[in-house]
Amino acid sequence: MSRVLVVDDEPGLRRALTINLSARGWDVTAVGDGTSALEAAARTRPDVVLLDLGLPDLDGLDVVAGLRGWSDVPIIVLTARTSSADTVDALDAGADDYVTKPFAMDVLLARLRAAVRRRGAGEGVPEVVEAGALRVDLARRTVTRHGEPVKLTPTEWHLLQVLVTSAGRLVTQTELLKEVWGPAYGRETNYLRVYVAQLRRKLEETPSQPRHLITEPGMGYRFEV
Amino acid sequence: MEQRSGVHPDERRRGRLRVFLGAAPGVGKTYAMLDEARRRAERGVDVAVAVVETHGRERTAERLAGLEVLPRRVVEHRGHELAEVDLDAVLRRHPEVAVVDELAHTNAPGSRHAKRWQDVEELLDAGIDVVSTVNIQHLESLNDVVAHITGVEQRETLPDAVLRRAEQVQLVDMTPEALQRRLSHGNVYPAGRVDAALSNYFRTGNLTALRELALLWLADRVDEGLERYRAQQGIERPWPARERVVVALTGGPEGATLVRRAARIAGRGAGGELHAVHVASGDGLVRTSPARLAEQRALVESLGGSYHRVVGDDVAGALLEFARGLNASQVVVGASRHGRLAALFRSGVGDAVVRGAGALDVLVVPHEEQRAGLRLPPRARAALSRGRRLLGWVLALGGPALVTALLSLFPRQDLSTDLMAFLVVVVLAALAGGLVPAVAAALVASLAVNWFFTAPVHRFTIAQPANAVALAVFVLVALAVSSTVDRAARRTEQAARSRAETEALSVLTRTVMAAEDPLAEALEHTRTTFAVTSATWLERTGPTAAWTAVACAGEHPCAAPADGDAEVVVDGTHCLALRGRLLAADDRRVLEAFAAQIAALRQRQLLRAEAAQVRRLEEGDAVRGALLTAVSHDLRTPLATLKASVDGLRDPELTLGAEDEAELLASVAESADRLQQLIDDLLDLTRVRSGVVQPHLVVVGLDEVVPAAAADAPPGRVRLEVPEDLPAVVTDPGLLRRVVANLVQNAVRHGAGAPVEVLASVAVEDARRSAQLLVVDHGPGLPGAAKERAFTPFQRLGDRSGAGLGLGLAVARGLAEAVGGRLEAQDTPGGGLTMVLTLPLAGTAHRLADPQADPQADAQADPPGEPREPREPLGVGA
Repeated sequence: MSRVLVVDDEPGLRRALTINLSARGWDVTAVGDGTSALEAAARTRPDVVLLDLGLPDLDGLDVVAGLRGWSDVPIIVLTARTSSADTVDALDAGADDYVTKPFAMDVLLARLRAAVRRRGAGEGVPEVVEAGALRVDLARRTVTRHGEPVKLTPTEWHLLQVLVTSAGRLVTQTELLKEVWGPAYGRETNYLRVYVAQLRRKLEETPSQPRHLITEPGMGYRFEV
Repeated sequence: MEQRSGVHPDERRRGRLRVFLGAAPGVGKTYAMLDEARRRAERGVDVAVAVVETHGRERTAERLAGLEVLPRRVVEHRGHELAEVDLDAVLRRHPEVAVVDELAHTNAPGSRHAKRWQDVEELLDAGIDVVSTVNIQHLESLNDVVAHITGVEQRETLPDAVLRRAEQVQLVDMTPEALQRRLSHGNVYPAGRVDAALSNYFRTGNLTALRELALLWLADRVDEGLERYRAQQGIERPWPARERVVVALTGGPEGATLVRRAARIAGRGAGGELHAVHVASGDGLVRTSPARLAEQRALVESLGGSYHRVVGDDVAGALLEFARGLNASQVVVGASRHGRLAALFRSGVGDAVVRGAGALDVLVVPHEEQRAGLRLPPRARAALSRGRRLLGWVLALGGPALVTALLSLFPRQDLSTDLMAFLVVVVLAALAGGLVPAVAAALVASLAVNWFFTAPVHRFTIAQPANAVALAVFVLVALAVSSTVDRAARRTEQAARSRAETEALSVLTRTVMAAEDPLAEALEHTRTTFAVTSATWLERTGPTAAWTAVACAGEHPCAAPADGDAEVVVDGTHCLALRGRLLAADDRRVLEAFAAQIAALRQRQLLRAEAAQVRRLEEGDAVRGALLTAVSHDLRTPLATLKASVDGLRDPELTLGAEDEAELLASVAESADRLQQLIDDLLDLTRVRSGVVQPHLVVVGLDEVVPAAAADAPPGRVRLEVPEDLPAVVTDPGLLRRVVANLVQNAVRHGAGAPVEVLASVAVEDARRSAQLLVVDHGPGLPGAAKERAFTPFQRLGDRSGAGLGLGLAVARGLAEAVGGRLEAQDTPGGGLTMVLTLPLAGTAHRLADPQADPQADAQADPPGEPREPREPLGVGA
């Protein structure tokens, strides 16, 4: 049973999430402010933290920073706005993913699962990831579409590898650039646009309506299985 | 001042009274008094406390420790026990110093004296020194002023004479802000005794006015003391303790300028005084315009100054004498109105004043009238004045004759000496009259020399060629000298003119910089500089559009450039038109510079207006941005709860317990309510903002509306005190209900669990009565500026949480204003926030309420000497 820490100052939402997640087999701890969030995280060692950015006492960013000081627990940020500087800041500060209010429960559950899976990644990333007609063999470094092998440049492959390894999870632009191009990069988002477009042309059925390589505008990219 | 105690021809020394004067309760009078008592006791003086009211203030009570407190006399009155000063006991005990708090206190009926100050008088007569306190509002002479400020008449009054007789009056001062802070920290009144209406009395405006009264009253006493001292010590030189400005009026047109200038100086420091004085000549002849003096006198009085008239032949002397008598700090006189030549023969009064001023400051003010004398000198056809030209001609014609006569007296044969003598005449003529008289003088002189002094004499022929050459050279030299002199004179004239032009322009720039309405000021300056009847600034939108007059100085503005006698058009769309006289070409050049200046000024004005407009728009944008943020947060949060709950309820794979299901349903209902509230608020705010709220004003009692509005609050959280006998108000009951419900909801939310009080009363402000509804919470409150910000919609930026909607108070204020009311936030004494809703009463022609129906009952409810108004209005506390 995975443990989740829910941090939100809205009692109604806290209650609804607790009931929903508990009924689906999660071990839920719910708190209403940042201080108790840090305290509860230290006490219960959750597998994932669901964090609302608007808290009465601390800034959501401070909570992210506080957690990152000693833990790499996945943090999913709850935000009330689709594009918000706060969310980007939170992701930059070390949050792993975000969900916009109001959200569908199944989407939230999928994100929670992806986050927990990423955490266990060290133990067992599947060697082969299949998504629709795509088959990505991470061990052999090959990609096939409808059984046909697809040729990728080394950079394209590296990019795809990072995204597939974190399948379902948001990978921020900065994270991708640093991982694929090197630590000196971080702002060259135009590289990402170019390479992701190339990947879509090679991998997606309809590159203009991608189903696997999803853009989260202003935030990053997500590989959906 | 011992001489004042002579009233009592007692053998013994009369006691000395020291009073601590305060502007309001809570400034620390009693504390200061006890400090003083302790200091004296530590010096070994025998001090006893006859009566001290600590009003339950701990820190004051602490100061009482270690002092001997005499027992009080307990009087039974209408079932109340009143503790009064036991006069006999104090007299028996006969300490050196007695501490008697609250000098203005009214004793219980049946006491020996009606008032406590009379007790104190008796103690003083017995040779006991007394230390006491009093609040400024209790002074009899200030009674009506205080009533006007606070709306409450003081019944406990103290004759001014008592306080004046005090040997020392010390002010215990505190800024209104600091006092309010004390109040909100509960240092003045214990939080339990918080009477929220009290905060009405402790408004910043009230406190500032009372403080000013106290400071001014004391300043006057200090002044009296200073005068007394100067009289005793025979000091005549002024001691400029406060700015006292004397302005001298001659009855000339410059008077108004001088008075305004002096008023500005006097207004610079606190308590400055303005005195205008006109020195009339001793012979009784009227040399000035009485109408103008009357006008200036009215001006002086309207500026808060006083007008004096003294008689004396020596104007400067009389003026200075008057100023010294007044202990003035500064004398303002106008710059001399005499021309330069006149100034040579009789110096102006200004100079005499400066010479005789001694230690007085003298300000010589240049003024409009004097400047009018400096108007651009019209460019003369002849550069020199008529008088000088006349003198030149006299010299030219008379000089040679005179020189001839003189030279004839001394017969000698030296032509060069003769020529030199004549040359002097020519040069003099040139210096005086310029080129033409000089040429004439040279001709006349050469003829005279030829006729009288060259051989053959008395004939216009010259025998020796050398003499002819000498005469020719003489004529040439004379011409050269006179033309040089003439040119120099013209240059000087031009320089003066340039200087005047520059001066006029620079004055224009300066006045325009400083002026409140620069355009009007610039036009007025133009009008006076060019000595015309009117100067008009015209503008049009395009080169062919019609002209409109933007501003005009003087009478008869021009409607179009063609109406003017002189006009300058700047870039086709701006025009400066003068009416009154035709301008010479040189003046026109200056006028063009003026017009360019004014055009630039006008442009700057328009740009500034535009910038302000842009700033307003930007602020509007910021508000709209905040709106989006706040709405997105406030709408999405309950939506998220709704959706999460419904998703859980609908999921077929999920089996929920009955309890969980009920909880989810409750969340759904709660979120839906919140959304509804938010949408209501948003719609209300939109209506208020777009001005479509049409209040339906009727006469209604607050007791009908308020309970209904507070009914939605959780039970037991709200305490209502709305007397049924409160006068009715004029308002829209529906909207008022929304306002009150909003305020109550807000107070309950932020009240930290303590009950919210809703108190209705009648408030008096500036002698106008209105209904006042206070919604008092005892939560954390809001610091200073945040109180006003709470009314700004969506003041909560970003996703910052905080239970409130960003809208409630903004809506409440908007609606309150729509129904003719006013909504303000104040500190709750003892901590928390008090919302003050002021509403107009029905038929507001009411006078001040009769302050007291039953004085004694009230005397018990309040500590003696404390302000009564909090409880007075229609028995809020009942």
